[in-house]
Amino acid sequence: MAKWGMVIDLDKCTGCQACTTACAMENSTLPGETWQDVLFYHEGEYPNAQMKWLPRPCMQCESPSCVHVCPTRATYKDEEAGGIVFVDWNKCIGCKYCMIACPYGVRFYVDEKPLLEPDLREIFPGENQQLWSPPYQGPDEDWSKGIGVQPPGVVSKCTFCHHKVSKAPEGTVDLDEDNPAVKEYVPACVRTCAPKARYFGDLDEPTSQVNQLIGDKHGVRLKDHTGNKPQVYYLGAGAGVPAFQPSDKGDKS
Amino acid sequence: MNENNIMKGKAGSGLLVISGVVFLASLIFAIIQLSSQGHASFNTSSNLPWGQPIATYLYFALASSGLGLLASLPLVFGFKQYYPVAKRCIFLAFIILISGMLVLALELGNVFRMLWAIPLNFQTQSAMFWMGIFYALDLLFLLWKFRKMESGEWDSKTSKQVGIASFILVLLASGNLALIFGMMSMRPFWFDALLPIYFYFTAVTSGMAALVFFAYLAYGFKRENMSQPMQDLMTGALPKLFAALIGGTLLFIAVRAITGLYTNNPEISLVWTDYLFASPLYHLSLWVGLLLPFIIMLKSSLRNQLNMQVLASVLVFLGLFAERFYFVIGGQVVPLFKGTWYPDLLTYTPSATEWALSIMGWSLAFLLYVLGEKFFNLSAMPDAITNTAGNQQAAAS
Ligand code: SF4
Ligand code: SF4
Repeated sequence: MAKWGMVIDLDKCTGCQACTTACAMENSTLPGETWQDVLFYHEGEYPNAQMKWLPRPCMQCESPSCVHVCPTRATYKDEEAGGIVFVDWNKCIGCKYCMIACPYGVRFYVDEKPLLEPDLREIFPGENQQLWSPPYQGPDEDWSKGIGVQPPGVVSKCTFCHHKVSKAPEGTVDLDEDNPAVKEYVPACVRTCAPKARYFGDLDEPTSQVNQLIGDKHGVRLKDHTGNKPQVYYLGAGAGVPAFQPSDKGDKS
Repeated sequence: MNENNIMKGKAGSGLLVISGVVFLASLIFAIIQLSSQGHASFNTSSNLPWGQPIATYLYFALASSGLGLLASLPLVFGFKQYYPVAKRCIFLAFIILISGMLVLALELGNVFRMLWAIPLNFQTQSAMFWMGIFYALDLLFLLWKFRKMESGEWDSKTSKQVGIASFILVLLASGNLALIFGMMSMRPFWFDALLPIYFYFTAVTSGMAALVFFAYLAYGFKRENMSQPMQDLMTGALPKLFAALIGGTLLFIAVRAITGLYTNNPEISLVWTDYLFASPLYHLSLWVGLLLPFIIMLKSSLRNQLNMQVLASVLVFLGLFAERFYFVIGGQVVPLFKGTWYPDLLTYTPSATEWALSIMGWSLAFLLYVLGEKFFNLSAMPDAITNTAGNQQAAAS
């Protein structure tokens, strides 16, 4: 079985958030439930202040702390599915321990105050046990993998578009949107990325494009000190996260 | 001396009615809110997922463990002068844990699923799995021990063994509860291998506060209504232990604060400077909720006065409740990997529903307490102790 990995080239990323939008549409997520997001950071101060940004999906960690803490095994790492970390919505008890334990802040419990008004959950009230039922939904609902629209009281997260990726022909190494044979199986964020900053493929296959890029262009994993070992790698000069500093603390000179 | 227990009379019935009404009102309010708005009626969010209900649960679970540890003084370690409070400790530990568990149940997204999903999936890597196991067993053994005491079996072999097992379970349960936080290296404010020790200490302190308060409450805040051995305890070993416990708690907070302020790691130091020490309520809980009672209990002229003891217990009660709150929230106020979407520390104040859950927990504890005082003799002691006291009194008169 493949081990799916993603490479994000920050020298190419323009921070346009097309991936974020594509993800929200693909997976029918609510505002604020950003399985995929682009984070913006500022670092340093005048005269060398910088602005940087990085797209952030779930890192599908090799050693996922979210899986370790989950008391019910609702969160699990599925090696059969390429090492994707799923939430089984039939098992999740909504204790939110995984959200405490994920160092990358990529898990969502949308049974919370709406980010935006009007509240979409009121406009499209939930049917068939769904938390909300938007008029368009992907056809591949699978609650045992946290795919589709969730019921209330569970945690949701990026699935590396398993419902697409899993349909790729056996032995596919690179899921490249430029290859007409596989483009339908490419994760939504990768496929939509206009400057082609994102790559997706098999980390277990030495010749894969993702492995080549990581090796040749010095791919790094973010917050690597956590030991979670993401399956998402970053290329380019901006690959790093500045320490937290409250906004009002800067510029006091 | 049982007839002096005012909880058995009208005062108890009054308190029963009041706590029953408060309990039902808060429970119904919380359930209406939860069924109409779900957890959107909480002020927690995906960025700060654990709020006051978790802190309340933590408070109750640890107070229960603290009471269990206090009960082990006579029951396991043979400090005989603590016998007069042993049974009440076990009972309070039981009901306070029940109250905490109810609060937690209403916090979870899918509470009934927990009943099968945790045992069946046996995720031994998760500290929360062990929390479920240990606290469930803890509850069972507290009940068992209580039944032994109820049947007057204080010193039988099984009674002793149940007592020892219960003591070990209390240590496992609260120590493991600490590790739920203490093992989270991605939340450096909590990450601390010695957190179980901190939890043991503060647990006993909050248990002691509960014990002092509820013991006096049973006797209408009149010490002369208590049995002689109990009076001796309340003016002897117990207040001194109380002082030492509050002192130890303060010491723990101090070293956590010093390391937290000293470190360059902003995910720890900012929590101290910009959240905890920036909050007047935190200061209040620290200085009035812990330091003041410490000073009171330290002074030998004040330590044995009944009203001072009650005051100290109430202050410590509230002080440690705040301490739990700031501990739980403090570990989450630094936004985790959110960039400039959340440029400052996260803010959180509990919503009405979350307050309702806390109040529900407190009122349930009171309710069960009065019922316990009414239906059981919580001041029961082994005959040997009662008799010695009786002989002493007879000799004195
Ligand atoms: S990024 Fe977070 S949610 Fe995703 S696998 Fe890693 S720890 Fe789990
Ligand atoms: S919220 Fe659900 S997925 Fe997360 S740790 Fe709890 S049971 Fe597991």
